[in-house]
Amino acid sequence: MLNINTVTVIGATGAMGANIAGIFASFGNAKVFCVSRDIDKAKKTIPQIIKSVRADAIVNNLIPADFSMLEECVKQSDLVFESSIEDLDIKREIAIVVGKNLPLHSISGTGSSGLSITTLAECYPEEVRKQFFGIHLFNPPYTLPLCELIPTIYSDPTIQKDLNNYLTEILRRKVVEVKDSPAFLGNRIGFQFINEALQYAEKYQDYGGIDYIDALLGTFTGRTMAPLITSDFVGLDVHKAIVDNLYKGTNDYAHDTFLLPDYANELIHEGRLGKKSNGGLYQLVKYGNGFKRQTVYDIKTGLYRDVIPYAFPFVNRMNAFLSEGEYQKCFEELVGNRSMEAELCLSFLLKYIVYSLYVANEVGDDISAADDVMATGFNWCPPLAMYHALSTVTNVSALIEERLPELSGLGFVDELLASIKKSKYDYRMYFKSGRISG
Amino acid sequence: MNRVYILGGAQTDFERNWTKEGKGMVALLKEAMSDGLADAGISFDDIKALNVENRIACFVGNFIAEKYVDQGHLGAFLTEIDQAFYGVPSARYEAACASSSVAIDAAVTKIRSAEYDVCIIIGWELMKTVDSKTGGDYLGRAAYYTKEGKGIDLPFPQLFGKLADETLRKYPQLDEKRYMDSLARISVINYSNAKKNPLAQTRHWFMNFDQACMRGTNTNPFIGGRLAVSDASQVTDGAAVVVMCSEKYAKERGMQCKPILKGYGHRVAPILFNKKIEESAQNPYLLPWTRQTILDAYHRSGLTVENIDVFETHDCFTSSEYMAISAFGLTEPGKEYEAIESGMIEFGGSKPINPSGGLIGCGHPVGATGARMLLDLYKQVSSQAGFYQVKNVKNAMMLNLGGSATTNYAYIIGIE
Repeated sequence: MLNINTVTVIGATGAMGANIAGIFASFGNAKVFCVSRDIDKAKKTIPQIIKSVRADAIVNNLIPADFSMLEECVKQSDLVFESSIEDLDIKREIAIVVGKNLPLHSISGTGSSGLSITTLAECYPEEVRKQFFGIHLFNPPYTLPLCELIPTIYSDPTIQKDLNNYLTEILRRKVVEVKDSPAFLGNRIGFQFINEALQYAEKYQDYGGIDYIDALLGTFTGRTMAPLITSDFVGLDVHKAIVDNLYKGTNDYAHDTFLLPDYANELIHEGRLGKKSNGGLYQLVKYGNGFKRQTVYDIKTGLYRDVIPYAFPFVNRMNAFLSEGEYQKCFEELVGNRSMEAELCLSFLLKYIVYSLYVANEVGDDISAADDVMATGFNWCPPLAMYHALSTVTNVSALIEERLPELSGLGFVDELLASIKKSKYDYRMYFKSGRISG
Repeated sequence: MNRVYILGGAQTDFERNWTKEGKGMVALLKEAMSDGLADAGISFDDIKALNVENRIACFVGNFIAEKYVDQGHLGAFLTEIDQAFYGVPSARYEAACASSSVAIDAAVTKIRSAEYDVCIIIGWELMKTVDSKTGGDYLGRAAYYTKEGKGIDLPFPQLFGKLADETLRKYPQLDEKRYMDSLARISVINYSNAKKNPLAQTRHWFMNFDQACMRGTNTNPFIGGRLAVSDASQVTDGAAVVVMCSEKYAKERGMQCKPILKGYGHRVAPILFNKKIEESAQNPYLLPWTRQTILDAYHRSGLTVENIDVFETHDCFTSSEYMAISAFGLTEPGKEYEAIESGMIEFGGSKPINPSGGLIGCGHPVGATGARMLLDLYKQVSSQAGFYQVKNVKNAMMLNLGGSATTNYAYIIGIE
């Protein structure tokens, strides 16, 4: 097992950097240099790091530092984790300092989700490239254990194996090894779904748009949060970075679903990024008397308005069945209801299954990688479990042929579905009725 | 008397928050029952067939659904799972956090007396329907509510904090730091074992000895006297199912090598905590009825502590697990710290306690806990505990407490 006693986290004042510093300091019981441009900012982040892992015990493990101390921190570190902003020039600057000072036995990792890990590896001196990996965690890591481990052509397989063991056994991550491909695996599957939902909101703007689509793809479809609420939560700027990268760097059958719709670009242009800028796809309006109102961006009018309390009969019935644990009846309703909304909802879930399996073969080791990333990184019902859930009431393969003929026409679906194996995940816990029933 | 076999069972994932999932009691019962029956190899059709001849019954353990989910008459709710339960005798059993153990006791009695051939025990509690303060007040009804619970914030942490105080008072040679460190180690062992249990509530949580010792900090505040959050079990939603049968049924089905119930103990101590302490003033044990419960189980099974390979105990608080160590006979009373410091009760120790993670690590849906413990004994004895399997388990013992160690139940499961 790797002996990681000292860690440097560069960019430890960012949300991800701080949370990751907490994971190293707690589960890893490592001394962590929390490096930021401004040492006061680093000091102020310490309580936040403690809170992120609910452990005051790590306080002595956290050492605030600034960039002037970076060389010294790196020299002492068994692992250096770079979590700076997604800017190649800045990361290159950091790589030079880290590369010069990294001890021979140490590991260097980046949390980058938007840049090529191979390109980043090439920013390092040749002799340390074998020690460099992408280590992509999901926010917040304390509750989402997924860790995508991305080796490059330069990576040493022995170090990779040791690092995988360390991340799994010591940091208690669900490690999925993936190829250095745009957005890796989890975000590629997740944001394909979310961005297509964003496109459909535009397409169905006369029906309400954003809240209409979210009402069709809510918690009853196997997730904690509807997709566009998720985008609002993540921030449209981050969303854009991910899908632009995917649009530019991939070219599969779902390529066009990575195009960011115009209205989203306009919102970003106006600084309406989401929850973090209080206004994006949704906007929570707070009044002086404490009253709060959830509003949504109406694509048609360009104004925020109250969220429409949609009441689709198929959703009401699915929710009622879920609240009593009648999963089969719930899925029968989804499959059997031929309203436009139910068909739209089901087509999203079927496309999700197919795309997940398709990409897992390309980016991951096998199709179960798709299950691991979606369950442990997104808390969505993972694709194999989704397949199993629908299989309890119908022949999914025939359903795809019937509902998505354009997808079936591509010719690889049958082969993909033939490779399906049983999911490790229990689909029941992911389908939520979104309301409490006694 | 007839032998009682354990056929199998299941527990729900204790990490789940059923209120957040928007699912209620019926959903919980359906999932737990279908998983439990599948594990035991019993179908709804089997239930129907057995019920034609009145050979099957159900026993529901639950503490206080009347408060948490506004529902009583719980025995009748199995009929909502499937029509197979129409006409099947079923009732709810209650003894606070030992509710499931009373249900087990009733089931065992019916098999021993050859009244029924198959008995299904289902223990459950949904506790996340209310905030922790309200839930804490509900739980106060496991004590003498008007005297020990009403108007008190978190009455049970207070009572088990008092147990810690009384432990130190009774054994003056016990150094306070040594005692508090021992309690912290108990917490760490339970959290650490829970990491091996894929259904444990805290399997993704962080805990270490330093954190468990940092009582009174923001992330580990005091909750009852000298006890802090790290000393306490969790607020948990969940259910556990165990299916038992007679020798006759086991033979009919050609089932072999199923574990059997070897013995039990059941004693009720004075309900008021202060009366417990008054009564035991001259006794070497602080909780003599807990000790007696264990002795009864040893006596009935013809076994001693030497024969028990693994224990599941009621660590609602670290102070209760501490007392259980001497009650099991692992050390003399007052010297429980020896078993902790020597590593005896750790996962790899000679007498592991709570390989499942216990109430602190695995979770404590109060009405389900007794059934969950029995299920874990079954898993250990039949080598089905997966990552938390202890090696070479022939006999396993559980101790389930209701109230402030008021209702005491012990069971021993072993290979025939």
